[in-house]
Amino acid sequence: MQISTGTTSHRSIYQATKNIIKDVVDDINGTPDFVLVAFTSNYRQKERYEQALSKICEESGTTNIIGGTFPGVATSDDLPTTQGCSLMAIKSNEISFEKPFNYSNIRINPKKGSEVIYDAYQKQKSKSKIGFFLTPGPLYQDNAFEQMKILDTIFAKKFKGMFNFIGKLIDKSMGKGGYGGTLFADKILHLLLNQGVENLIGGATIDLDMKACYQFIGDEIYRNALVGTIFSSDKFEFAQGWTFDKSQKSKKFDITGFLKSSGYIQNINEKSANKEFLNIIGISEELYEEAFGNFAYASLLYLSALKKPNKEYIPFVSVCHPILDGVVTTIPERYLNKNEIIADFFTQSGTGIQKSAYDCAQNISKNLENLKFGIFINCSNRLLIAGDKIEKENIKIKEALGEEVPFITLYSGGEFSLIENNPVYSSVSVHGFVAGEKKVPLKNVVF
Amino acid sequence: MSFNYGISSELTDLNYLEDVEGSVLFRIDGNVIDAIFNNNQSQDLLRTIQWSKSNVEKVSMEMKNNNLQKVTYELNDFYVLFFVVNRVTVLTTFANQNANLSLLSIEAKRKSQNISQFL
Repeated sequence: MQISTGTTSHRSIYQATKNIIKDVVDDINGTPDFVLVAFTSNYRQKERYEQALSKICEESGTTNIIGGTFPGVATSDDLPTTQGCSLMAIKSNEISFEKPFNYSNIRINPKKGSEVIYDAYQKQKSKSKIGFFLTPGPLYQDNAFEQMKILDTIFAKKFKGMFNFIGKLIDKSMGKGGYGGTLFADKILHLLLNQGVENLIGGATIDLDMKACYQFIGDEIYRNALVGTIFSSDKFEFAQGWTFDKSQKSKKFDITGFLKSSGYIQNINEKSANKEFLNIIGISEELYEEAFGNFAYASLLYLSALKKPNKEYIPFVSVCHPILDGVVTTIPERYLNKNEIIADFFTQSGTGIQKSAYDCAQNISKNLENLKFGIFINCSNRLLIAGDKIEKENIKIKEALGEEVPFITLYSGGEFSLIENNPVYSSVSVHGFVAGEKKVPLKNVVF
Repeated sequence: MSFNYGISSELTDLNYLEDVEGSVLFRIDGNVIDAIFNNNQSQDLLRTIQWSKSNVEKVSMEMKNNNLQKVTYELNDFYVLFFVVNRVTVLTTFANQNANLSLLSIEAKRKSQNISQFL
């Protein structure tokens, strides 16, 4: 089994591609069976990514390539970059990689997308298997929030049933324009869960200004597509997990008015959600604008986490746009039932996210030995929280997995997992999986 | 030497980042080893560069004494980011007020490590 990973950084995508081919693709003796490629989103133009992907296909000799654009990328053997490319190439007889699948209309029709994943998942009959997929991330054009103003009207507060329906229409209309959130991923997880799919991991491509992101399959570039593959093996096991920084819990809050569709919160603690949100996190409107105005007003350091009785917290990002009275959240429709949930605010910290990365990696590797490789989907917010200390997260992952285990980290706009039939759709979190051999318990034998 | 490789190339990479106005590799005595700037330099940017040149020795001493890897200043509507490259050189990046300092510092750190390999 040959695995090669690397990260290069250059202002020109042409040069970054040339370097990554030299450093990683050429390192594989023969043709790789699978290539995961992640470019940073600063190169902007689709044509540039097309040329880069076409070069990687040509030089690697395979079209078994998936990937996307992310604000930051990293691998185990190199510092993260916000201007370059990370690549993982695998050639293995023990792991098989399903021919990559894609569905190009995922925002409008997640059901069809889930069927594509399910078909690919079903084809693999090996003992251990896991689906891996990438989706478009949050994408908000400048006028996106104006369309939501209707959700603040008196009618929207009185006739919630009808406005839930209107909210869905707004979502659909945004989806047609190629923008909106990533709530469709939660639907995909649940559809697949109902069909008996056990293990999946995924993430959303994103640019931090939330204006453009791409997904790759072979040398094709998409803007609103699901792309993915299935890893399967009879020899190796795939273990997965997720976590987030739970160290700084602040205040409890009650969601007292909401529209289930679009995850739109109208009232928090019986008050206008926008104002109360700022009040709870304790910052002024001006400071919030300065901090998060460039990120579609997403509150990247403060997140609401919901808890169902006897279950763990799941974190979500809230968007507090000045023209809206309410707050747009990434909370899926099925969580918005106030009788069942406990809601808290959490603040993310640099050391907290490092610890959570370590916990995630340690947890997933505890039952495996002879680890072969890992893939981590890490929220792009964490890039902003950690800044140049972001590599410490990867150092912690290395500590947990072992120095020699290659892995790639994609800084995403939403993380999704189906872990042994438990669906997790979250934000500001780290999800990961590793491949390795199952630990055989040692027994004391007395002769 | 190819322009795609070397100190100039690394500094040019930094200048291609959004909101970066210029980058200078200083020796800690204030001498410039290499510098790349965007085409349109404002009076304010020139004043900020001049300030950096005259203060780099003091800043370097401060960084050395306190074991700091990075120091950020904000003046004349610019951010000035100093990153230690090695014992005698400091990478200085000038960015406008719209710059995302977290993302910029990730790349500046990477560049300072790359540059240290050329020295």
